[in-house]
Amino acid sequence: MKKFLAIVKHEYKRVVLKWSFLISTLLLPFLAVCFAFVPMIIFSLKGEPMRIAVADPSGKLLPRIEKNLSVERMIERAQQAAKDSMTQINGSQDEKMRNTAASVMQDFVLVPYDLAGRSGDAVRTDLISKVVANEIDAFLIVPDNFDSAQASFVFRSRKGGDFISNDTFQDALNNAVRSQRLADANISEESVAELSAPVNFDAKGIDEAGVEKDSSGVMAASFVIGLMIYITLAIYGQAIMAAVVEEKETRIAEILFSSARPFKLMLGKLVGVGLAGLTQLAIWVGSAAALLAFLALQTDFRQILATVPSITPVMITLFLTYFLLGFFLYASIFALIGSMVTSVQEGGQFAFIPVMIMLAAFYFCFAVIRDPNSDLSFWVTISPFLAPITMPVRILAETPPAWQIALSFLINAATITGLVWVAARVYRVGMLMYGKRATIPEVWKWIRQA
Amino acid sequence: MEPALESDISLRVRNVTKRFGEFTAVEDLSFDIRAGRVFGFLGPNGAGKTTTIRMIVGITVPDEGSIELYGQPISYELQDRIGYLPEERGLYKKLKVADQLRYFAELKGVSRAAAEKKIDFWLERMNLAEWKNKKTTDLSKGMQQKIQFISTVLHDPDLLILDEPFSGLDPVNVEFMIDVLSEFRSQAKTVIFSTHLMSTAERLCHDILLINRSRKVLGGSLREVKESYGMNLIAFRGTGAEKVLADKSLVETTIAHADERELHLAAGVDPQRLLRALIGAGASVTKFEITEPSLNDIFIEKVGKNQESRP
Repeated sequence: MKKFLAIVKHEYKRVVLKWSFLISTLLLPFLAVCFAFVPMIIFSLKGEPMRIAVADPSGKLLPRIEKNLSVERMIERAQQAAKDSMTQINGSQDEKMRNTAASVMQDFVLVPYDLAGRSGDAVRTDLISKVVANEIDAFLIVPDNFDSAQASFVFRSRKGGDFISNDTFQDALNNAVRSQRLADANISEESVAELSAPVNFDAKGIDEAGVEKDSSGVMAASFVIGLMIYITLAIYGQAIMAAVVEEKETRIAEILFSSARPFKLMLGKLVGVGLAGLTQLAIWVGSAAALLAFLALQTDFRQILATVPSITPVMITLFLTYFLLGFFLYASIFALIGSMVTSVQEGGQFAFIPVMIMLAAFYFCFAVIRDPNSDLSFWVTISPFLAPITMPVRILAETPPAWQIALSFLINAATITGLVWVAARVYRVGMLMYGKRATIPEVWKWIRQA
Repeated sequence: MEPALESDISLRVRNVTKRFGEFTAVEDLSFDIRAGRVFGFLGPNGAGKTTTIRMIVGITVPDEGSIELYGQPISYELQDRIGYLPEERGLYKKLKVADQLRYFAELKGVSRAAAEKKIDFWLERMNLAEWKNKKTTDLSKGMQQKIQFISTVLHDPDLLILDEPFSGLDPVNVEFMIDVLSEFRSQAKTVIFSTHLMSTAERLCHDILLINRSRKVLGGSLREVKESYGMNLIAFRGTGAEKVLADKSLVETTIAHADERELHLAAGVDPQRLLRALIGAGASVTKFEITEPSLNDIFIEKVGKNQESRP
């Protein structure tokens, strides 16, 4: 036991007393947030104003589209969207939103196009040549029969992949056509505006106790949790592999094996590095809690905090438990790989297998967030290898019945026992095999004989 | 070997066989090692030395036979009484000298406080005190070698197993290490010393065991081994002896060196008989010395012959 503790301490210090530990502790939460929000921000970045030529024979749609694309209209819509997720908007927030909307929303410059009595094909060819000449970025040809249901609006753009602009424009066009059709049906503009106002969509989740809860923050929080566990498992798994390979490469293994049981050495390594990972997670959880507590004191943020899913101490305990389950599962695989190969580079060729499984588990998180009670969610949160990443996400999204958590825990704990046993057998033979990488049949033999 | 008391025997290896698949690394090997003596474990590369040592240290287990240290079968508990310096040296590259040594000592069951004292003592002894808080990568190869040696003796082992301990050391440090080893010997500890360097083995070892191709070739005290080979080698210098030396019933072979000749006597010939024959033939003898074969000669004769028939 004394030796085991010495091993645990040695491995723990080796990880924690390194600069890379401090750096990753500071950097990873930042990266996780970036992963969650950067794609959104990048897509919403304002591009150059989009010049769209509108060939509108009737002349009725163009003003309506222009109106729909105006800044005021955009803000109205943004407010509407905000109303759905937040109960109240005070004055200063309104001002902020106005600025944000103006700066974020895509600018459109609508250019009226004079048909000059030309036919459809000629117009099209001419417009295409204008796009090619970079006089305009896109064009819309409004058909003569725009008020019929079969009408087909031709929209061509140089930026075909800019789906945000395209969607915004399509929305504006849809609304314009709808209002025009209603106007043509002799409905007054006021009634049109009234009739086409969006509904007030008050969406909230209900938990198993029937209590209403605001679930808009769950998605982001679950995503961040899933990502953090995935990244931590991948990093610490690889750290285990590198440590095992170092001891094999430098032949330290020979000295270690002449001093302690290989099983003790391997388990000590797993426990030591696992505790280091737990330390890091605890720092993150602790600072997140401190940050939330601080924000709770700032009145401005109360509203936003209301959307943060409530995380109880029981949940945190479960997250850390699942992190440990995941750690021991994957770390024993990485240790096994490390003792099979002769260098870290060679190990990388095998490491992709556990990494792929982890990645798959991470992708399953999306299915779990969408429907935490589906059959798929049930299976992926009890199955070995996937559960350590998917279960915490499911617990956060909607805590499953206790028996499912217990079952998932038992299945994964049993898998760990089996894996550690197998890894220990490979480890004690593999660590003394120098020169060449072990083949799979060889490893199989070690597992059966050793 | 001189008759040894049961209590003198520290390590007893009996009929040990170790196979790796089809390959037999060690076959039916038996030997005893006595306390307070330096035991030379000799043999060419691939003879089975490292495999045998690993079984003694408890890293691997023999397929057949038994190994006993101080009357008990090898176990993880006994590992703490052994200090092992493997042929392939290894230290943690990025760890400080003191941290490595402390870890290795703790793995051998030494308490932290005791380890601290020992580390200081040995670093001082090896003139490495100022390197205590340096990383391995800052050390020269010779220094790393000495650090490695310290790690094998920190827990004050009763059995010290050194596999090629002098490789990478300059002659001054080799002499220094030999001094350190002599101390161990005088404390009635047992030293197993594995090497290819016959001259060092000859200088240090009381007993030797030569193995080749998984099997024991010869063993016993250095004296006995040499004696069993000696008495038939003569260093000769003189004139007018050609006729006598050409007599195959007396001299089997003659090897000419720079200023003398080495004579191998024919089987059963007493050196005195050759000397009388030379005098009788009127030769003028300026040197006639019965010499012992060097360990190197024995090694080459025993191993070289077998080597030829190697596939």
